[in-house]
Amino acid sequence: MFKHILLPTDGSSLSHVAIQKGVQLAKAIKAKITGISVIPEQEYYLYQMQVRVKEETVKQHKVQANRNLSVIEKAAKDAGVPCDTFCEISDHPHEMITKVAEKIGCDLIMMASHGRRGVGALLIGSETEKVLTHSKIPVLVYR
Amino acid sequence: MFKHILLPSDGSPLSEAAMRKGIQFAKTINARVTGFCVGPELRHFVFDADIGPEFRKQAAAAVQAEVAKNLLAIKKAAKEAGVPCETAQEKSDQPYEAIIAAAQKGQCDLIIMASHGRRGVQGLLLGSETQKVLTHSKIPVLVYR
Repeated sequence: MFKHILLPTDGSSLSHVAIQKGVQLAKAIKAKITGISVIPEQEYYLYQMQVRVKEETVKQHKVQANRNLSVIEKAAKDAGVPCDTFCEISDHPHEMITKVAEKIGCDLIMMASHGRRGVGALLIGSETEKVLTHSKIPVLVYR
Repeated sequence: MFKHILLPSDGSPLSEAAMRKGIQFAKTINARVTGFCVGPELRHFVFDADIGPEFRKQAAAAVQAEVAKNLLAIKKAAKEAGVPCETAQEKSDQPYEAIIAAAQKGQCDLIIMASHGRRGVQGLLLGSETQKVLTHSKIPVLVYR
């Protein structure tokens, strides 16, 4: 069945729930997981501020992303599930998520219905919806 | 992990493919499945006096035959895979509501469906019923392309 599950995280509490469930599923079906955190490129800083400012924010984002990814690493280690993590830079997380999923041969993407931007009315989260729209790989959406 | 999977089907090729993959998934994780099909209520006939009772009966029978055919396909696929399977059907003009209600009623812990159904791939968008199920369901949804 599924051999390699991609778990995108933005560090939100809902994405942590999806991570726990994803690790459980991976354990049950003997799959490996790859965690991914996408940080914004924020190219617009180039036009507005000094480049140094951009570097500084990227650095901070990376620290946060690594913190988010360590949650996945720890959950995977506790469950004894093989795990890899990536931190990628893009202003369009859904593009990066589907691109990485295809590149490393994932056969399932598992993510929360909402992330950092929260439950906008009753709608599904924006990045999740974009991943669903563009992904050729099955997506399991957690509430 | 997941114990009871709802497999809604509208009989379209994409939804049948998702149903088959869903059954394979159920088999791997030792879950049982419930096949589910929603037929239209055909309520618009009420407003059109020119449509005779005979035609209404025929239309209802045709819908019922289609629903039964879809459910039979699920039953057959589950039987071949050795996965415990029940089926249920509902009449509704809002399939997503019926799907979520069926999942809650059957205490399903996962819904597996295709990204698009009968209404096809309109542009690059996600299928309309799938989108609505995703928006309103409290149960996880696995979406197949």
